[in-house]
Amino acid sequence: MNVPARPPRNWMLLAGVTGLLVAMTVWSAYGIGFSLTEILCNIAGGTRLITESWPPDFGFLPRLAEPMLETVFIAVIGTVVGGILAIPVAVLAARNITPNKLTWFADRNFMNILRTLPDLFWAMLFATAVGFGPVAGALALTVFTVAVISKLWSESLESIDMGLPETIRAVGGTWFQMIQFGAIPQAVQHYVSYALYAFELNIRASVVLGLVGAGGIGMILETQRANFEYERVTMIILAVLVAVLIIEEISESIRKRLA
Amino acid sequence: MSQNDPNKATGAIRFDKAGITYPNGVVGMKDLDLEITPGEFVVIVGSSGAGKSTLLRAVNGLNALTSGSVEIDGERVATHSNRELRRMRKRIGMIFQDFRLVKRLSVMSNVLIGRLAHVPGWRAMLNFWPAADREIAIDALKRVGIADKAWVKASQLSGGQQQRVGIARALAQQPAIILADEPVASLDPVTTHQIMRDLVRINRELGITTLVNLHFLDLAREYGDRIIGLRFGELVYDGSAKTVTDEDFRNIYGRDFTEDDLLEEEV
Ligand SMILES: Nc1ncnc2c1ncn2[C@@H]1O[C@H](COP(=O)(O)OP(=O)(O)OP(=O)(O)O)[C@@H](O)[C@H]1O
Ligand SMILES: [Mg+2]
Repeated sequence: MNVPARPPRNWMLLAGVTGLLVAMTVWSAYGIGFSLTEILCNIAGGTRLITESWPPDFGFLPRLAEPMLETVFIAVIGTVVGGILAIPVAVLAARNITPNKLTWFADRNFMNILRTLPDLFWAMLFATAVGFGPVAGALALTVFTVAVISKLWSESLESIDMGLPETIRAVGGTWFQMIQFGAIPQAVQHYVSYALYAFELNIRASVVLGLVGAGGIGMILETQRANFEYERVTMIILAVLVAVLIIEEISESIRKRLA
Repeated sequence: MSQNDPNKATGAIRFDKAGITYPNGVVGMKDLDLEITPGEFVVIVGSSGAGKSTLLRAVNGLNALTSGSVEIDGERVATHSNRELRRMRKRIGMIFQDFRLVKRLSVMSNVLIGRLAHVPGWRAMLNFWPAADREIAIDALKRVGIADKAWVKASQLSGGQQQRVGIARALAQQPAIILADEPVASLDPVTTHQIMRDLVRINRELGITTLVNLHFLDLAREYGDRIIGLRFGELVYDGSAKTVTDEDFRNIYGRDFTEDDLLEEEV
C-alpha cells in the first residue's frame, strides 16, 4: 500500500498565529510600561546592589538553622494535612467514580475556587483568623496542597481501568469499598508522586509566605532586606537554594524508585 | 428464605421474558426465557456481540434489565435497591477474561476481596479480617492449588495462576453461582484446559451453578453439560453438549465455522 502524500502545511495559519503572538507581546509590554531604555539607564543601580551583596555573610549562617527548620515544618504540615484532605476532594471530582453528578459538580467548583485563589490570599485570610505566624502559613499551605493534589490526582483517577472497580461491585462491595480496593490501588503511585511535588512547591511557598510574616526563613530574609544587610540576604538566598536543591533531589529519587 | 436453608440446593436462575436495550438503542438481550437449575454447568456460545456478556451480567445486576425479570432462587434481582443488590451479589462469584486482580497486592489480599460483603465494613477497611474469613480464603486457594502463593504479589504470577486467584476470589464468596466471562480467552491452550478442568471440578465438588461464556466451540463441547446458543441477543439453541451438532453451531453463528472458532487447529 502506498503512503499518501503528506498534506501541505497551512502557511497562512502559521503566519497568523505568529503575528498574533508578536502583537500580543508588544501590546502587553506597552501596557505595563516595559521599556528597554529605562532598564538600561537603571542598570547602574543594579550593579551597586550586586557589589554590596557580595561576599555572603557566612557568620550569619548559624542563626539560620532554626528559621529554616520552621520553614520546612510549615511545608511538612501543609503537605501532610493537605495531602490527606485532597483524597476525598479528588475522588469526588473524578467523573468515573463519583457517587453522583451533583456531588461531582459541587466538588469540581469547590476545587476550582481553591485553585483560583493564590496561596498568599489564604495566608492573609488565615492571618486575620489566627494572627500572623507559622500557623497561618501552615493553614494556607494546607489549602494550597489540597488544590494542587486534588486537581492532578482526580485526573489520574479518571484514567484508571474501570474493570477492577466493577469487580468490587460484583462481589457485593459498597461504593466506599469500590474506591478503596478498586480505584485507589491503581493510582497510588501518582498520588505519592503528586504529594512529593506539592511538598517541593510548599517549601518555596513557605519561604514566600515568610516574607509577609508567616515566620521561618522568609521572615528573616525580609527583615535583613529591610535593614539593607545585603550580604546576609545573599547568605539566606544561598541557604534556601541549597535546601531546596537537597529536597528536590530526595523527592526526585523517591519518585524514580516508584516508577 | 430458600437462601438461608442449608438443606435446599441454591443457585437456581430464571429469566422471564427478559430484555436489555442499551441506552444507545442496541438490543443486548431479547425476550429471553431460560431456566437454570442448581448445580448446572452451562456453557454459553455465540459470535462476538451476540449478547453472552450481557446475559451473564444480568444475573448479578451489573446490567439492569429493561424488560421482564431475572430471579435467583425465586428472588428477583433488584434494579434500584443498592442494598438488595449487594446482598444478592454477595453469593454470586464472577470471573473475568482479564483476571481483574489488584496487581500491587498479595494473592491473599485479592482473595479476601471475595469476603468484602461478608464482614463488617470497618474490618475490611482496616484490613482487619476475622480469622474465619482468612481460613475461607486459604481454603479457596487450596482448592485451586496455589496456596503456596498466598503471600506473593499478584503481578508476579503467570496468566494461569492469576486466573486461579480470580477463581479463588469467587470461591471465597462461598457462592451459589459462578459467572465466568470468557475465563480462558487470554490464556494459552495448555493453561486453558487446566482452568476449564478446575471450573468443572469445582462445579462437581461444590455444586455451584456455573455459567461460562466461551468462544471456542470444541471447548464448549468438551466441558459443557448444557450449551446455550445466542444470536443477536436471542436464545437460538439450548441443549446437551453431548448431542450438539456442527449444524447447530452453524445455526448459532449464522455462518460456517472456521479454525478461528476452535482452540485446537483442526476442523
Ligand atoms: N454498555 C453498553 N452500551 C451499549 N451497547 C453495549 C454495551 N455493552 C454491550 N453492548 C452491545 O450489546 C451487544 C451485545 O454485547 P455483549 O458484550 O453482550 O456481546 P458478547 O456476546 O459478550 O460479545 P463478545 O464475544 O465480543 O464479548 C453488542 O452489540 C454490544 O456492542
Ligand atoms: Mg463478551
